[in-house]
Amino acid sequence: MRKLWVLSLKEILLTVRDVGVLVMMLATPLAITLVMAAAFGTGGDDAPLESIPVLLLNQDVGVMGKTLVDIFYSDAVGDLVTPELVTDEAAARARVDEDDVAALVIIPADFSARVFPMGALAQQIAGVDVTKVTSDTVLTPEQQIKMGMAFLQSQNLENADPVVVEVYASPDWRISSAVVKSIVSQGLEILNIQIAGTNAIIARLAEAPTQSEASSDNFAQMAGAFQMQAGGNAQTADLPINLHITSSTGRRFSWLGYYASAMAVTFLMFAVTSGGRTLLLERRLGTLPRLLITPTPALTILLGKMGGVILSGVLQLCVLWGATSVIGAYWGAPLSVLLAILVIVPCASGVGAIISAWAKSPGQASAIGAAVTLIGSALGGGFVVRWSLPLWVQYASLVTPVGWSIEILGRLQAGQSLVRVLPWLGGALALTAVFYGIALVGFRRQFE
Amino acid sequence: MPLVEVRNLVKRYTPDGPNAVDDVSFDIHAGEMFSLLGPNGAGKTTAISMISTLLSPTSGAVTVDGHNTQKSPMDVRRVIGVVPQELALYDDMTARENLQFWGEMRGMGGAELKREIVEKLALTDLTDRAKDRVGTFSGGMKRRLNLAVGLLGNPKLMMLDEPTVAIDPQSRRYILDWVKKMSQGGVTVLYTTHYMEEAQELSDRIGIIDHGKLIALGTLDELTQSVGQHETLVLTLTQEGGGADLAAALETHTDILQAGADNGEVVLNVTSAEASLASVIATASGLGLSVRTIEIREPNLETVFLHLTGRALRD
Repeated sequence: MRKLWVLSLKEILLTVRDVGVLVMMLATPLAITLVMAAAFGTGGDDAPLESIPVLLLNQDVGVMGKTLVDIFYSDAVGDLVTPELVTDEAAARARVDEDDVAALVIIPADFSARVFPMGALAQQIAGVDVTKVTSDTVLTPEQQIKMGMAFLQSQNLENADPVVVEVYASPDWRISSAVVKSIVSQGLEILNIQIAGTNAIIARLAEAPTQSEASSDNFAQMAGAFQMQAGGNAQTADLPINLHITSSTGRRFSWLGYYASAMAVTFLMFAVTSGGRTLLLERRLGTLPRLLITPTPALTILLGKMGGVILSGVLQLCVLWGATSVIGAYWGAPLSVLLAILVIVPCASGVGAIISAWAKSPGQASAIGAAVTLIGSALGGGFVVRWSLPLWVQYASLVTPVGWSIEILGRLQAGQSLVRVLPWLGGALALTAVFYGIALVGFRRQFE
Repeated sequence: MPLVEVRNLVKRYTPDGPNAVDDVSFDIHAGEMFSLLGPNGAGKTTAISMISTLLSPTSGAVTVDGHNTQKSPMDVRRVIGVVPQELALYDDMTARENLQFWGEMRGMGGAELKREIVEKLALTDLTDRAKDRVGTFSGGMKRRLNLAVGLLGNPKLMMLDEPTVAIDPQSRRYILDWVKKMSQGGVTVLYTTHYMEEAQELSDRIGIIDHGKLIALGTLDELTQSVGQHETLVLTLTQEGGGADLAAALETHTDILQAGADNGEVVLNVTSAEASLASVIATASGLGLSVRTIEIREPNLETVFLHLTGRALRD
């Protein structure tokens, strides 16, 4: 055990004393993360998206909810989303949780009544369907008075808490759910404008000369108050609707966070494949043969070597985690991230082990290591947001540690609990076992 | 009982390839200074690699201090120290860190290792550079440190694989003196070299190896006597490329036992240099060649090697 530790410490010492390696391990990923974050900020993705599955749960009994639903079926977003009307909220939320769809939009039952109380009250008190009111509509004096009364009553309702439209988004469909949220936001703005416009028309109707010239002071007061309120709404477009974005985890996608972890994982791969190469280099320089004739078992030497590579990798990721957290990147709950790092690094080092076990020279190992890292990173989401890649690419990337690592860290960044990430950690561990199994065959061949 | 017993040792790297070491057998006794002498590619490093447990023999057996290298490699490794031909050191670590690391790998530690590090640094004149990275050392300093690492733990058997290759004369002298001192101190030494002078100067016994075979074994006297009271006549010619013709012409002379040409020199194994000289010069003149220098050498390992192989040692 003592020798294992000495061997690992030697690896770390040699790593930290190599300025070139430090630049590759720490400075480069940090710089690229900053550049990426500066370029993309924390906004959405402009990668082409289409047919995003979204569930619409319209519980509204009025017309406003339907207007919002219709937006999802409009030509403007026709290619972008594939909406599906549902009625069972629990089942719909479950489908989001299972990552079956990108998001669920929940329009509450009192949506119309609370968004535009004037509409319901006008129907109820004055017998006027405001959705059919136009600028040419002429009200009777009695209707005008009742409309004024309806307006006054609506004031109290509008001052109540704003109505909430909930977008229940899957953390695994980050970009897609961001698109859904954007559509809902735009839909709410459209409703805003419609309500403001309708209010303005009603205000004009209320102040129009009555046919009997029997307008009273009360009506004038009411009409004046109505006009003021309607005009105010038109100017400020204040809509008593809140878009409430939720997810099973409560976190949102961040470019900075994503690229911080993606770059860290990519450069971890460079580091561990380079670390594996040093075994071949030691063979060439003669230090490995010298080690093999000390009273130290070959397996201890091998484990010490890989232990050093793994410890260096853990240090690398921890430093990058700390450094990018300082500049605002969120990686997830600290303990979960630490556990993830402890799983990810051995998995990545497995690739380094395979290369050093099977490559014929340090030069060949370097070339293979760079190729494996770049291909793995391209497939796994090191350069492009993983969840905007086609599904088959996402699945294919799971043969590389980068795919698993970004998946795991992405889930933690989205706020998923450790329990939910455990299957992914298990997958990465299984891949680690496969990698080291392949490497062991190569090492046995080499050492014999 | 010998400290090292090598029996019918064979190493073949590929099934159909030639034997890098071919049926080699010898013993090394405790306290003995034994050299394996041979040209590059003769099989010296392969032999030492098998004795040090780095390589497994294709057939045959090696026992060190009573332990079979294949059955008990760890026991063998505990009693040997190896100074490899390469400078097997970490350039980014200091001299002290290197000694500390290699000492720990030998299973040493604590005060014992600290004391050894101080001792070995002093022994190799590197105390002042103990905290400097090895990458900043000269070739000679690296060689000395390489030697110091091999000596950690004061092993029973020291194996030095061509430790003086590619170093300056001063460092070479330093290492040779050190090896002599070590041998005089009772350490058993197995030394490989292709420098005849080193083997002559250092060794109690010498094994001459060529093309994987041990072609001669004995003390210096025994080896030189084995070729008789012959002398070596070395000629250099003014003309380039005439050596081979002259050697071929002289092979027919009865008083010339062997003739070879190498690097502009014609090397002749003769019963009497004085008696043969006139006919040699006459033959050269007959071929239109003129002799620039003539050197008469007493019987030595070169003579032995030439006698046994028909080639100069450096071929």
